[in-house]
Amino acid sequence: MTAYHPLPRRRVLSGVVAAVLALPLALGACSSDDGAADDGKIELSFFWWGGEARAQLTEQALALYTSKHPEVTFKKTWQANQGYFDKLATLTAGNDAPDIFQIDDNYLAEYATRNVTADLSEYTKSGKIDVSKFQKGLVDYSTVDGKVAGVAMGENTQGLVYNKAKLDAAGVAVPTTGQSWQEHITWAKEAAAKAKIAGTMDPSADYKAFWVWLRQQGKEFYNGSELGFTQADVQAWFELWKGARDGKSTPTADVIHEGNATDVTKQLVVTNKALTSWVWANQLPELQKNTKDDLAVIAYPGDASKQWARASMYFSIYRGSKHKDVAADVLNFLANDPEAGKILGTDRGLPSNLDIRTQVAASTDNEAMKETIKVMDELGKNFGPAPTVPPKGHSTVRSELIKAAEEAQYGRATPAQAAEQFFAASQAAIKR
Amino acid sequence: MATTTARPSSTRPPAGPAAAQRRGRPARHRTDGIAGYLFLSPWLLGLLTITAIPMLMSLYLSFTNYDVLSDWESMEWVGLDNYRTMFTDDPSFWHAVQTTLVFALVATPLKLAAALGVALLLNRPFKGAGLFRGLFYLPSLLGGSVALAIVWVNMFNRDGAFNSFLSWFGIEGKAWVNDPDFALGTLILLAVWQFGAPMVIFLAGLKQVPVELYEAASVDGASPWRKFINITLPMLSPVIFFNLVLETINGFQGFTSAFVLSNGTGGPVDSTLMYTLHLYIKGWNEYQMGYASAMAWVFLLAIGLVTAVVFRTGRFWVHYSDGED
Repeated sequence: MTAYHPLPRRRVLSGVVAAVLALPLALGACSSDDGAADDGKIELSFFWWGGEARAQLTEQALALYTSKHPEVTFKKTWQANQGYFDKLATLTAGNDAPDIFQIDDNYLAEYATRNVTADLSEYTKSGKIDVSKFQKGLVDYSTVDGKVAGVAMGENTQGLVYNKAKLDAAGVAVPTTGQSWQEHITWAKEAAAKAKIAGTMDPSADYKAFWVWLRQQGKEFYNGSELGFTQADVQAWFELWKGARDGKSTPTADVIHEGNATDVTKQLVVTNKALTSWVWANQLPELQKNTKDDLAVIAYPGDASKQWARASMYFSIYRGSKHKDVAADVLNFLANDPEAGKILGTDRGLPSNLDIRTQVAASTDNEAMKETIKVMDELGKNFGPAPTVPPKGHSTVRSELIKAAEEAQYGRATPAQAAEQFFAASQAAIKR
Repeated sequence: MATTTARPSSTRPPAGPAAAQRRGRPARHRTDGIAGYLFLSPWLLGLLTITAIPMLMSLYLSFTNYDVLSDWESMEWVGLDNYRTMFTDDPSFWHAVQTTLVFALVATPLKLAAALGVALLLNRPFKGAGLFRGLFYLPSLLGGSVALAIVWVNMFNRDGAFNSFLSWFGIEGKAWVNDPDFALGTLILLAVWQFGAPMVIFLAGLKQVPVELYEAASVDGASPWRKFINITLPMLSPVIFFNLVLETINGFQGFTSAFVLSNGTGGPVDSTLMYTLHLYIKGWNEYQMGYASAMAWVFLLAIGLVTAVVFRTGRFWVHYSDGED
């Protein structure tokens, strides 16, 4: 029988051992070179996430800066949102973070409390970064532990986008700012019956909707680095939406799950699976690109003055940057220069600088953009004080809310059980 | 390493003129060894810098509270805390263990059965056998690809191809990938579908089974089923064993499809939260890299343990023809 060798034992063994060793233990790290030259020329590395359109605008604006300051050039890197923060974290771990990088309120506190971002208060105080024309509240919403961690490159606020075309066609009155939550849910039920599309997306998994609702109850999402609500609040919130689901105001759980994704293209109002989506008001122009139906935006239900001017994105400067002063000047330019403002438009949110905002509103011929600016200006007049920037652990709290809310949506947990789960998990997340 | 370089001259049996030559010129032999390592050096360098050193680093980090973003100086030694938290204070950890076990223990046997079944069919000579082998192998070439997972998600969504297929039979499907009861099932199906690699290995194994055995069995009047049970399976057992070990390890390491389906969250409601995905979330979303490193090491030990068990059982059913007379 020795003639038959399907596979000699030793080879099998060594193959197996090699396979076991090839475990994904090694978490990669990559690094690139620093752009410091000694001939008076300065190269700043600049990193953001976004699409093709944003890349073009940003590159144009940076080229404009270089044309005015020929000694400063930029090493630009950009990519899609997916994986952006993995890369930024890896670069930071290698002490090689970009001089200037884009960041949002999900991660600002994570980076700021670990001193990755340079404290810009010195620049905002001296006016080297001029924030005097900024919408009020934006600087507060850029401050972590008393340090200015980033420059707000845009403003947004919660916006309920609805399908105006479908509502008009079905002969249903459009929703209006100031309706109570219960009124909205009742409206959604009627609209669904007439338009044959689910009335309103169920936002119970959406932290920003929960946040507005909490503020209207006199609570906060966070008090500093503590939770600003109780388990009973969460339960009441989940029960409100369980009622809406039972009353057929919202789509079914699997459709809600689709809508819980943050991509613009998956929002139910553009995929025609619901008549509303709970988004940021400045996303209206982007949503409008994805549907032929005429869309419009209003505030979330309840008292709209409890919404706030949220910095939609920031540019931060790395604490290890060798050219902080130059980087600060670049940020000042991007935020306050009229020409740069014209180029950047509302891509990252409405311009923080109100003068530039007015100028952009006057010069645009995009109807959705005009509508957004109009609505946000209207809302902005009544805004109260902004809350603090969400603390470290916020992105985990957000995903825990989605998890718990979906448990309730799929009927796998009662609102009380889901609330208990979320409350415990989020407390653990911000304490770690 | 220097000792290994010098050793072969003494361990090899000194026989014939070649041996005499070698004894006469030890210096040349030594340079041969160095040349060998030089040729190996790209691989060795890779092994050291991108596997061995990071592995040891991760072992060290697993005893710290390393969080990626902070300075190295602020990193603290926390002893076994990460390991303790994992087993006693992280409900998601046990959930991820369970999900991974279900995935690996269901997907691996099904995948091997599919691979063996198709290999048996393709082993017969028929027109276009090569084409079919290629076609069946194709999905596993696309292996862990993101594109494939995206296609899969769309196929099993509410208006996906799978539901159109069901509708021919009057069945109304659902959004399988969005349903916590079925999402993991679609991932298992995806893994099973990629049976091409073990299939090719099975085919190679089948070709090695001597035809005489089947002929002899036919003479004795054995049915095809008997031949399969008494000849094919025992003769193929080393190959089955090899595939079983590899695919088990693969199954435990499943990541890409779950990541794509759930957008990196493990959803809906943690139903696709595989061990590797939980590890990723801990390390890269929550910046608990020390904890994630500890998870990686527990994972290594667990897979090692499972593999050892498979090896143990192998003694009872794997038939090595080279060991017998």
